[in-house]
Amino acid sequence: MTDSAPRAQSSRLAYVWPLRLRLADSMAGRVAAAAALSVVASALLVALSGHNPFAAFAAMLKGALGSPHQVGFALNRATPYLLAGSGVALCFRAGVINIGAEGQIALGGVGAAALALHFPASLSVLAAVAALAGGALFGALWAALATAIHLGRRVHEVLTTLLLNFVALLLVQQTLAGPLGQFGAGFLQSPELPRAAWLWKVPEFGAHAGFPIALVAAATLSLTVWRTPFGFSLRVAGSSRRAAAYAGFSAPAITWSVMLIAGALAGLAGAVEVLGVQHRLIEGFSLGFGFKAVTVALLGALEPLAVVPAALFVGMLEAGAQSMQRQIGVPSALVIVIEGITMLFVLAATVRRA
Amino acid sequence: MPAFLEMRGIVRRFGGVTANDGVDLDLNEGEILGLLGENGSGKSTLMKVLFGMIAPDAGRIVFRGRPLSGHRPSDAMAAGIAMIHQHFMLIEAMSVVENVMLGWPAAGRILKRAEMAQRVREASHRFGLDLDPDAMVADLPLGRRQRVEILKAVLREAHLLILDEPTSNLAPSEVADLLTILRRLRSEGKGIVFITHKLPEVLEVCDRVVVLRAARVSGGAPIGEVTKAQLAEMMVGRDVTVPHAERSPTKGLVRLRVDRLEGPGLGPLSFEVRGGEILGVAGVDGNGQIELAETLAGLRRPRAGAVTLDGHDITHAAVGARTKAGVAYMPADRSSTALVRSLSIAENLMLRDSHEPPCAQGMFLSVGELQDKARRLMKEYDIRGQGPKTPAARLSGGNQQKIVVARELDRRPAVLIAHQAAWGLDPGATRFVLERVLALREDGAAILYFSSELEEVLEVADRVAVMANRGFAGVTMREGADIGQIGLWMSGRAG
Repeated sequence: MTDSAPRAQSSRLAYVWPLRLRLADSMAGRVAAAAALSVVASALLVALSGHNPFAAFAAMLKGALGSPHQVGFALNRATPYLLAGSGVALCFRAGVINIGAEGQIALGGVGAAALALHFPASLSVLAAVAALAGGALFGALWAALATAIHLGRRVHEVLTTLLLNFVALLLVQQTLAGPLGQFGAGFLQSPELPRAAWLWKVPEFGAHAGFPIALVAAATLSLTVWRTPFGFSLRVAGSSRRAAAYAGFSAPAITWSVMLIAGALAGLAGAVEVLGVQHRLIEGFSLGFGFKAVTVALLGALEPLAVVPAALFVGMLEAGAQSMQRQIGVPSALVIVIEGITMLFVLAATVRRA
Repeated sequence: MPAFLEMRGIVRRFGGVTANDGVDLDLNEGEILGLLGENGSGKSTLMKVLFGMIAPDAGRIVFRGRPLSGHRPSDAMAAGIAMIHQHFMLIEAMSVVENVMLGWPAAGRILKRAEMAQRVREASHRFGLDLDPDAMVADLPLGRRQRVEILKAVLREAHLLILDEPTSNLAPSEVADLLTILRRLRSEGKGIVFITHKLPEVLEVCDRVVVLRAARVSGGAPIGEVTKAQLAEMMVGRDVTVPHAERSPTKGLVRLRVDRLEGPGLGPLSFEVRGGEILGVAGVDGNGQIELAETLAGLRRPRAGAVTLDGHDITHAAVGARTKAGVAYMPADRSSTALVRSLSIAENLMLRDSHEPPCAQGMFLSVGELQDKARRLMKEYDIRGQGPKTPAARLSGGNQQKIVVARELDRRPAVLIAHQAAWGLDPGATRFVLERVLALREDGAAILYFSSELEEVLEVADRVAVMANRGFAGVTMREGADIGQIGLWMSGRAG
């Protein structure tokens, strides 16, 4: 009714899938402003800690993009965020607030390690695939537990998913203290996994095969959301539960579907971390991954394809921050603060208003 | 003596749309002014400008000799203007006197509850409001709640009361009481602006009427110098009476049979609707209408009883199965049930059959088909939007409802359940909806038409049922219906 010309144009553009990233006209400008603000804020903090902010940022940039190895490192960091984050985005789109990626990732790691350690050597060609599938299965099962309590007992999904995270982390400890643990390591970890289960790596870069897997997953999810009847039903359910009931969609079926998909993807995230980076299950290997996945999903405006740049951004930010800590000696607590500030600024600039 | 209220040359634009384009309005003390106009004609905008909810782009307002400009609602209230919204601003879990004290400095920092209760009693007596200060608002019928709002206004010494569509939720007897109260307020010298699109009430209670059309004043006259037809024409600029004279008599077989249907807040209740028949369901909201409509649509489960459609039992069928069996449903709640505002016109048009061909082809949605279907329906049902991809939220209320009409009726349903199908629509859109419903009747569908507006039910229905206390208080043929009897049924008294 009250359309002005530029809005009409952007809405037409926004419908050309897969360009439908809900990028407002001034998005680039707002991201640039957010980046500038976070650089200024971070520089102030670095200067206050007695270090040279220019040197710090140079180290950060080098850490993220400075060498093939650094790029590979950033990609590997981004991979679990992308896998788990696109699953979280799917859930949020359907109006299911799944905060359980943290636990689902941890259990995925357990699943991958268990399969890799116990896989028959005669079938070792399939070891990596089986271990990945095991991770996805464990993640999905953990999500299924939260969903069953949510739907069966009418406990809010935020509670069931969130609280099961803590249980999952303790479960990882338990398995490492028992069946999967390496005796006498002095540290809660499993023995090194057989090499057959390791993910293939790009020589020189060190980037493992998890990232392409995550890209395919994100693209498939995006296609599902925008181009399938199931995707339509979850978008309707996410906008209005009443409209979904009126359309004849089953709310429990939608909740089950998105939770199982998201759980499997989070489990896969844990699996690629274990199989591609750590090569063993270590206590706390995925600490904070699940919560960062939520940030990444929101940063990507709940659109699985837009979660790709969001995850890359966070991955590079972390890679850069680590090298800043190593090379300049900026304290690690301050590095975490800088990461947080930057994400907050970018989120404030990009998340669309409800 | 300065004028009581003088609004001159009010202009207000929203983006490219002009809502008020140089509107003048005058009001005297002790006068009831009817403000008429279609939806979108600018009457709400004008009153929001007066009450300080939005700022005008141009124009000036003088109230009791003092200019009002750049004011906010709190300033308007302090100056003696009160606005009574269509949806009451009351806290249901509080008593009448507590609602009166809410946000009112005169109630004291430490609430003077007893004193306030006494003032509520006095004012209630003086204006014939019949309100008990200790009654809980949640227990009051809508008519009484409205009086609480009026009470708040008079206790705060409002000189001017703006009533926005005050009769839309009231039973006929409550409307009569409201009009009596308004006359009493007038005799005390209050000025009243009565916003409505119901002409009979305007003719009954107003002293003068001003009509807005397309953001401008299209006419105005003292009551007594103007007829209903003239007012209607000032509102829309064309004749909008619905043709209902020559309709064929109902000859069809029973298509929808409801047998001792019972559920939470509903029934037990039995009735039948034949093909080519419209059963109008009148009654005050909250008497089981939503329960009946949603149970028939499959959104609520009945506790007992049976529903059959063309002889097939659909009592426990899921929504999707009902849709396939030929049940169409236009819910009263358009903003979050009948439509998803963030989705496009095309997506809203496929809301009820998105998993069936032609919408779905194999695993995927058939985007091309959907666009074509949407374009066809937009043309056929006169849905005015830029294109199939325009979000529903950007359409006017009338065009949003046309999406629902197009989606539900294009399937050529066997049964239509229409709930408040024309509620809040302007006369043009109302006529469109009623015409389509009547056309469906001619095609032989059985139609259940719920509306809290008795006049609308009488216009469209073949038979009229009145809901009260979770069931039908009475059913009568439209021809020769006794309005007095219907009123008694509506008020819940057995007749």
